[in-house]
Amino acid sequence: MTEVTVIEKADLDGKRLAFGLAEDRIGHYPEFREFFSRTFGLEYKGLAEPGFVRAPSGIVYTLIFIGRSGEPFPSGVEINAVVDALEPIDSETLDRDLWAILRWMIGGVGGAWTVEDFDRTGRLYRVAAASAN
Amino acid sequence: MTIQADNMLPAALREQWPYPPRFASVNGWRMHYIDEGEGDPVVLLHGNPTWGFLYRDIIGPLVRSGRRVIVPDMIGFGLSEKPVREQAHTLDGHSANLTALMRQLDLSKITLVCHDWGGPTGLSFAMSNKGRIRALALMSTWAWPPPAAEFHTRIFPWRMMHAPLVGPYFLGRHKALAGRGVYLSVVDREKFARTARAAYEAVLPDPATRLLTWVWPRWIPLDQEARAFERFKWLEQELSRSKFPTMIIWGREDEVFDAVTFSNRFKQMIPHAEGPHLVTGRHFLQEDSGPEIADLIRSFLDRLDERQVAQ
Repeated sequence: MTEVTVIEKADLDGKRLAFGLAEDRIGHYPEFREFFSRTFGLEYKGLAEPGFVRAPSGIVYTLIFIGRSGEPFPSGVEINAVVDALEPIDSETLDRDLWAILRWMIGGVGGAWTVEDFDRTGRLYRVAAASAN
Repeated sequence: MTIQADNMLPAALREQWPYPPRFASVNGWRMHYIDEGEGDPVVLLHGNPTWGFLYRDIIGPLVRSGRRVIVPDMIGFGLSEKPVREQAHTLDGHSANLTALMRQLDLSKITLVCHDWGGPTGLSFAMSNKGRIRALALMSTWAWPPPAAEFHTRIFPWRMMHAPLVGPYFLGRHKALAGRGVYLSVVDREKFARTARAAYEAVLPDPATRLLTWVWPRWIPLDQEARAFERFKWLEQELSRSKFPTMIIWGREDEVFDAVTFSNRFKQMIPHAEGPHLVTGRHFLQEDSGPEIADLIRSFLDRLDERQVAQ
């Protein structure tokens, strides 16, 4: 599996959320906020529920959107892996999945933002996950 | 207090940074700085993602020439406190941090040496505390609203590197700027890797400590809606009226703030400024030309002293 797919819900019973990434300013480039709003129907759901995606490893990730008074929603987002409650997560798997999720995000934002530029940036800074692209 | 510096710096680098650490509470944060020598103060300001170590080849010669040299680490960098929330970092807030330190030390007749974000923060302090300033030295920085450098408008690699979520991934998890980013922006990369890279990486050991490395890029105004647009407009106006003796030093090989565009614009803004003096260097020119830069600043200050005596 190489793709990231949006899924409806995840079974959280016996699971914990393992922290992946946090972003305080999702609207720095507003097209990113629009992407998440469009993809997860945030205009209707608001803060009611997080988004879920399945990453290439098969692990499900939650996207928890954050609101900040006086700013368009969402103002931020956290990405967490849904893992067995008492089990550690393999950091290389987490890193590859985060890479894939960001790549999927860039492709979804579109316009001037291209996965080719994302891959080039990853290679420039020698990010291990970039070598697969 | 020495424990922190000793623990964070690899043993091989401690010889290059023998200075006893000092700490001040500024604007609610714990700021690290060094304070060496006696005489009129020279304050050396770094930017993103460096710290006082950037000036290690410059501090000694200035102290030996009879100057008091103060080198603060910006809050979020070096051995200073590193806030974990993005909202803790604003351009005005960082200027206020510096102002607090300068007032606590009650400094006057300051020669302010500015590099990268040390420019907008330091010059904002200078233009709002003119009575404390004697002279300015400017290196690879800017002080006006858009257009920023062409480099900063490009998606690859600049805007991509700090895009939403991508910034925390590349610059946080993978220390793209604190590690390889600085490496790519020096001329002698082999020497840098051998003698200095570890000092920049060691003080930003974990993703959360690297927060400011992706927050600062987002403060570069790219249009009139940008958060810092009005501050930069004010800064440009104030600096254009400034009569402070000023020196411009630039790296010949600077690809971020290229010498032709940026040093010349400073020269137009401040026609009485000395220079631009071009030295070997990309954006982090102190890494390649530290002793030469020290000599330029020292001789600049000597000339000011002579003029003062003559008057």
